[in-house]
Amino acid sequence: MKITRSNTMILLVSIIVGVSLVAVFPTFSDAQSEQKTFVTHSGAVVRTSGEVIDPLYTVSTVDFDPDEFLRNFEYGRVSVSETGQTIREYTIVAEDDKIQEISPGVFYNVWTFNGTVPGPTIRATEGDLLRIHFINNGSKEHTMHFHGIHPAGMDGVFEPVGGNGGQFVYEFEAGPVGVHPYHCHVMPLEEHIVHGLYGVFIVDPKEGRAPADEMVMVLNGLDTDFDTENNFYAANTIPFYYQHHPIQINTHELIRVYVVNMVEFDPINNFHLHGNLYKYYPTGTDVVPSFYTDMITMSQTERGIMEFEYEYPGKYLFHAHKVEFSEKGWVGIFLVKENPEINQDIEYGT
Amino acid sequence: MELSNNSSKVKMIASGIIPFVFVIIMMAYIFGPGGDLIDLGIPLPEVTIEKVDFVDSEIHATVRNTGPIPVNIVVADVNDRIHPAAVEPDGYLERYETALVRIPFEWNEAEPYTVGITVGDGTRFEKEIESAAPALQPTLDLAVFFAIIGTYVGIIPVMIGLLWLPFIKKISKSKYHFFLALTAGLLLFLAFDSIEEAVDVSNENLAGSFNGILLIATVIVLSFLGLYYSGEKLVQRAKSSKLAKPVAIALMISISIGLHNFGEGLAIGAAVGMGSIAFSTFLIVGFALHNTTEGIAIAAPMSREKVMIGKLAAMGMIAGSPAIFGAWIGGFVYSPFTSVIFLSIGAGAIFQVIVILIKWLRDEGDKNLSSASVVSGFAVGMLVMYLTSILI
Repeated sequence: MKITRSNTMILLVSIIVGVSLVAVFPTFSDAQSEQKTFVTHSGAVVRTSGEVIDPLYTVSTVDFDPDEFLRNFEYGRVSVSETGQTIREYTIVAEDDKIQEISPGVFYNVWTFNGTVPGPTIRATEGDLLRIHFINNGSKEHTMHFHGIHPAGMDGVFEPVGGNGGQFVYEFEAGPVGVHPYHCHVMPLEEHIVHGLYGVFIVDPKEGRAPADEMVMVLNGLDTDFDTENNFYAANTIPFYYQHHPIQINTHELIRVYVVNMVEFDPINNFHLHGNLYKYYPTGTDVVPSFYTDMITMSQTERGIMEFEYEYPGKYLFHAHKVEFSEKGWVGIFLVKENPEINQDIEYGT
Repeated sequence: MELSNNSSKVKMIASGIIPFVFVIIMMAYIFGPGGDLIDLGIPLPEVTIEKVDFVDSEIHATVRNTGPIPVNIVVADVNDRIHPAAVEPDGYLERYETALVRIPFEWNEAEPYTVGITVGDGTRFEKEIESAAPALQPTLDLAVFFAIIGTYVGIIPVMIGLLWLPFIKKISKSKYHFFLALTAGLLLFLAFDSIEEAVDVSNENLAGSFNGILLIATVIVLSFLGLYYSGEKLVQRAKSSKLAKPVAIALMISISIGLHNFGEGLAIGAAVGMGSIAFSTFLIVGFALHNTTEGIAIAAPMSREKVMIGKLAAMGMIAGSPAIFGAWIGGFVYSPFTSVIFLSIGAGAIFQVIVILIKWLRDEGDKNLSSASVVSGFAVGMLVMYLTSILI
């Protein structure tokens, strides 16, 4: 009788001990591996035996190069008409089946004009004739709708272009002066925009603007899980890109940024510059700046031109002061270097 | 005849194997190369954040791939703000594989946090923590604290319950039956209690792919069958040895209550660990009152035997002390999966004891289970448990 009881006790104790071991064991595995380190947002260094997931400091093999996009302007195939008008011809191809790595490890189905999000920056001078050969190689209907002044039939709304090779030629005079977005205008509109069918259209004044180091920033968001909330934000699509790859500029050199806000879902976006203020020209339609500030708030497709010069070299952040956006990727750095030739002339617009 | 014997054996084996062969052929046809027969739709990834720990300047999320396809963990966020993080051992998870995501973050105690994990196709999964509390470190102090709590809610109440033994001893046979039925009622309530807790844990922390309810049902039945079988063996041996049947039954009750209290301890430890319970004296009193009734359950079948204090105390320990082990495991190495398993095993054990008790009552009460004492005992048992459970 005693034996049976103690046997039962032993059995019970060993069950409990065994179960405890099973429960404890997993925390002790994988202890000895190669150590890696990474730096946190607050500067602490963390060691891990595992894998680092860091959209900020991890170099990814993205298909889209924000550095190349930043200072790239497409002037088109130029010819002159009999009346002496400059004609700029473009070929824009829409696609909707590309999967791109938009942040390290994150693959997203982008819809593109000429293969990128944003599409190419189309640039012309006021009064030029634009002729845009639009080819839709996507599976759905797409169009190109330019903000600006043009005939109704060129508005890209009531003339949907069928997929799998449908074509349309948009022809209109560039105007008014300023910076404008263009985007697909097929319903459901939100879907076509957030997948990436948009780009920037710059119209220069005939007399030109002061020479400057010019760049384009499209503020955009990516809703990768389709819950009508953006998972990532960025200037030029790739989250945290310009923080990891600072934009190099010089002291005492005029910087001109064409900013277009294409963020959907969130009603506003904004642009804050560190260590400096900029002159802001809303929509770029006037030659006199409306604001001298370091903070501009923009709603959907609001855009403008920012001009500034840095006096002191160093690293300066620029980011959304809606901090949620900056902490999800809309943040970058200007790396200001001492200007080697302060008197060097910068060629404008070629 | 050797030969015909052999050939019939071969036939028998073949007839057993042939259906399997066809199953394999069918599987090969469906899943094999070119088998796009059931290529329906696109499988969606799914991960479940099973556990979130708040440690020194870091938030640790235990992530399990609970979807049909392998996933890559690529982004971690806290309150929907992206942070650099580490995934250990690595971010590639096969089905049901887990990884630990370490997110450096200066969190504040008692504030709510949402931890998000994004996988390779951009889908984000999140888990909300109501109130951040530092993860419990297995220090001696804390182990002692849990031991004390376990003693309060497990051992002491059971021991107090056992003190009713002399009272139960002196009452008439029908009243005795009342108490045995009462025991069965108490236990039935505990079984439901365990199942409810298991379902809660499963719903809150386990992914749908575990089929929580069916997992619980399966474990309950397996635990019931296993203990039923070994219990019968124990009773058979009791017949041949000096161990009396009531003692054997009391021992089985102790073991099953022990398993239940182990689950209760897990729940308490885990609740403290997750910071979701402020341990008030009121709560401990509630548990203690509730568990006192477990002592009656052990005492009732023993009451017709010669009382041996040592035997009784041992049974009290078997029933009560697992609460301490449970609290340790729940507090230091909590895993929702193991919790669900333990709670279900506990429920199965209790069902087994109820069956034994009812059988015994039937044998004792002249094959009659509908006597007033039995029915009222059962009912009062459930009621008492319900009323004391309100205190918790």
